[in-house]
Amino acid sequence: MSGPEVLVIGGGPAGVSAALELARAGIDVTLCEQGPRLGGAIHRQPDDPTQSVHVPQSHKRRWQALSDALAGSTVKVLCRHMFAGIEATGAVLLEDRIHGRLVTRRPAALVLAMGAIERVAPVPGWQLPGVVTVGGLQVMMKSTGRAPDGDVLIAGSGPLLVALAAQMASLGNAPVAVLERSPRLVSLRVVASLLRAPAYLREAAGYLLTLVRSGTLPQRGVCVTAIAPKDGRLSVTVRDRAGRERRLLVDRVALHDGLLPNSNGTTTGQHGPFIVRAGDCREVLGGTAALADGRLGAQAVLAHLGQTAPANKGPAAIMARERQAQAALNTLFDYSGRDPAQLPDETVICRCEGRTLGQLRSMLSADDPVSAREIKLNGRFGMGSCQGRFCAEWVASFVASQRNGTPPQPSEIVGSRWPVKPVPISAFVTLPPSSPSE
Amino acid sequence: MSDSQTFLFDGVSVPCTGRETIAAALDRAGIRMLGTGQGDCAGRYFCGIGACQACLVSVDGARMEACLTPARSGLQVERIAPVSS
Amino acid sequence: MAVVGAGIVGMSAAHFLSRAGWQVTVYDTGVVASGATGSADGAVSVASKKPGPLMTLAVAAVKFYEHLIATGVLVDEYLPRSTFVVASDQEELAVLERHAGELEAADVAIRMLKGAALTQVIGAAAPSAIAAAEVQGEGHAVGYRVAERLRQLGGFAIRRNCRVSGFESTNGRITGLVTEHGTEPADAVLLATGIGSTHFLADAGLIRPRKGQLIVTDRAGADTPHFPGPLMSCRYLVSKGSQPAGAVAPSRSLGLVIDPLRTGQFLIGGSREDRDDRESADADVVAALLRDAVALSPSLAQLRVIRVFAGLRAATRDGMPIVGRVSGADNLWIATGFEGDGICLGPMMGRLCQQMICGEPPAQDISALDSARFGLTLATAA
Repeated sequence: MSGPEVLVIGGGPAGVSAALELARAGIDVTLCEQGPRLGGAIHRQPDDPTQSVHVPQSHKRRWQALSDALAGSTVKVLCRHMFAGIEATGAVLLEDRIHGRLVTRRPAALVLAMGAIERVAPVPGWQLPGVVTVGGLQVMMKSTGRAPDGDVLIAGSGPLLVALAAQMASLGNAPVAVLERSPRLVSLRVVASLLRAPAYLREAAGYLLTLVRSGTLPQRGVCVTAIAPKDGRLSVTVRDRAGRERRLLVDRVALHDGLLPNSNGTTTGQHGPFIVRAGDCREVLGGTAALADGRLGAQAVLAHLGQTAPANKGPAAIMARERQAQAALNTLFDYSGRDPAQLPDETVICRCEGRTLGQLRSMLSADDPVSAREIKLNGRFGMGSCQGRFCAEWVASFVASQRNGTPPQPSEIVGSRWPVKPVPISAFVTLPPSSPSE
Repeated sequence: MSDSQTFLFDGVSVPCTGRETIAAALDRAGIRMLGTGQGDCAGRYFCGIGACQACLVSVDGARMEACLTPARSGLQVERIAPVSS
Repeated sequence: MAVVGAGIVGMSAAHFLSRAGWQVTVYDTGVVASGATGSADGAVSVASKKPGPLMTLAVAAVKFYEHLIATGVLVDEYLPRSTFVVASDQEELAVLERHAGELEAADVAIRMLKGAALTQVIGAAAPSAIAAAEVQGEGHAVGYRVAERLRQLGGFAIRRNCRVSGFESTNGRITGLVTEHGTEPADAVLLATGIGSTHFLADAGLIRPRKGQLIVTDRAGADTPHFPGPLMSCRYLVSKGSQPAGAVAPSRSLGLVIDPLRTGQFLIGGSREDRDDRESADADVVAALLRDAVALSPSLAQLRVIRVFAGLRAATRDGMPIVGRVSGADNLWIATGFEGDGICLGPMMGRLCQQMICGEPPAQDISALDSARFGLTLATAA
């Protein structure tokens, strides 16, 4: 095949859908996935096909259809290839984990479909081993086909809490409790809004039925205020709506406070490819929307390449419907996290660098409106290996709550430089030198 | 599930299926602390998608996310103990 | 007193001027240390310098850092340590020995390391290393941390994101700064604007951007071989010395320095490129630096690159900084063009600027830096 190459990053529903749409239009497409198999977080495939987690039939059918289409397409798939960013001359950097090398591509367009990352609102002890994200625990469970062992507490806010709890219960180890920060109960208005996207209602009903049977329905209006190690386990302080505190001794705590696009600040430089984001990587609306958004992203690429895409209002209509459904669903949850004023100084904010809220507060004590860049450089917040993905939002919001002046943006902590994730030097040195003329 | 293989984690033999990640095999073996971090922030499995970098381990001398790296027989996996500031 | 530029030179000058009784405000287009100061390698070093006025000033500047620590102005922002210039073949060794001799002649303490002593002192050096010169009595300072310490000490105001576009003058004296937020009164002005100085000077080509790219790794493991200090490849000196006099400098050159930071990370640099696309680093330069770094110290291959960044040095036409007056206003001074020496010279230059502005005799001879050699005049636009 000749003609322009398009690179799609991320092997979840958005990426696969975009790649298929482009391939159907005759484009030379390469699909890169960081893990060993396609599927993304939502369609994570089991390590052992005979041991799989119960997932809704609609999810299974959707992924089967995508897999079949991919098998019959011209899309080239590169697993264990990680997107490392776009460098100054516009080359896309890919870390090839199979061969331990760094390779460059110069595609005409780049579709970023790297999904979402989870928000975890800091509480004292969130940095301890045994504390995981809800999605992280779910991904491991989907891969291994086993429920995580031990006593597991699930806390935070969002529909993912219930999904994980039900899947664990189905696999024989229901969580000890599910704590949902939001006190709001499902209203008729929300149900009515979701009737246009009935898959959510079916999915939720199935999960809730499982939790009724296992006796672990979510406790609403309850949150975790601290986690501490105790006798090799985790002692978790939880607070209910009335302000009463109690302690639970568990083996694992799974936390989740919503999702953010995993867009990590990649921008088109002067010489870079045309960039389109698709799926949760652009707007967190879930798997059904990701499928449609992948097609929309592909159509944007085709338009950029001067190909007239067939007029099709289908994906846009799906997006509108899913956006409404998500908005209705989100009214049931509370992703705010704890008021920073209530958190003690020892609360870790930046895990990579081991930096605490107290250290952040001490930088803000002066009346001088110190900038985000100064906080980052001198306080080392967001300077570690995750490159601010898990702390930037909290650093920015704490600073905004404690000093006057323009509130800093999380993007000022994350930045927009490559590499967007750490790259082994051993891989870097394999990069062939370009011609000296450049 | 059969554990047909083993790898070494800090010199201790850990069984693995040959299909799962290093993170999954260590979790099954009850190993939660995956390295020494800054302050009291020890290494651990957390996000499962290679974003948080908290599960970084040394795999045959190269630093890799345990959650993204397949475990297979004969690997020498070690906790990373970075020099602290 | 208005100081324009919140880099290390401007912040140091503001510190000393405020202690001398001036009411000082620092203005910056960006924030503190957002120019070259925030993207410098932090070498407080004479190791790669040729004898001359700049080396004499660098030696004094190293002592000035020690003085600032002793007097409590700086706390732990300066780390004394040696630099190790490493030779890997006979050609490099010959250059190294000649260079070491020149440094010794300038009263810099040198220890030559070969054989067992070399491997004992520099555990991290590749077996291919045949000799190293330990350049003693120098150190390291992170530019933005020095600026932050001076900010914390206070005594002056900082106006961030406040671009100074020009001046208001009466009878040959500046009376105010024209900023995007209005006009601010000033009785005297010091321009410490680095690459931004071009805006204020009639001779727009006098100061040129010289880009440098740097790499930051993650933290070394406890098992990483020992780095007693930064390792500098002698090849850099070879290429510097091998250029025939008057030859056009290449548009890009690499001078490898592997710098072990206090955090356990490494800073690997750097390039010198005659271009000004400051925000971007390119994979080609980064890969070339890393190849050289791994050749000099193979254990680095097990670490990862977590950040790369580029900065613009302010390079003057003759390679020497510019310190002095600008004609067109009686109460206007300038300190700029420090290229790669800003972190080393910055604090001392702040002190010298204060002495110059207060009419005190300068503690160092800075006549070689005098702005008069270029006959500086203010740009008409300013």
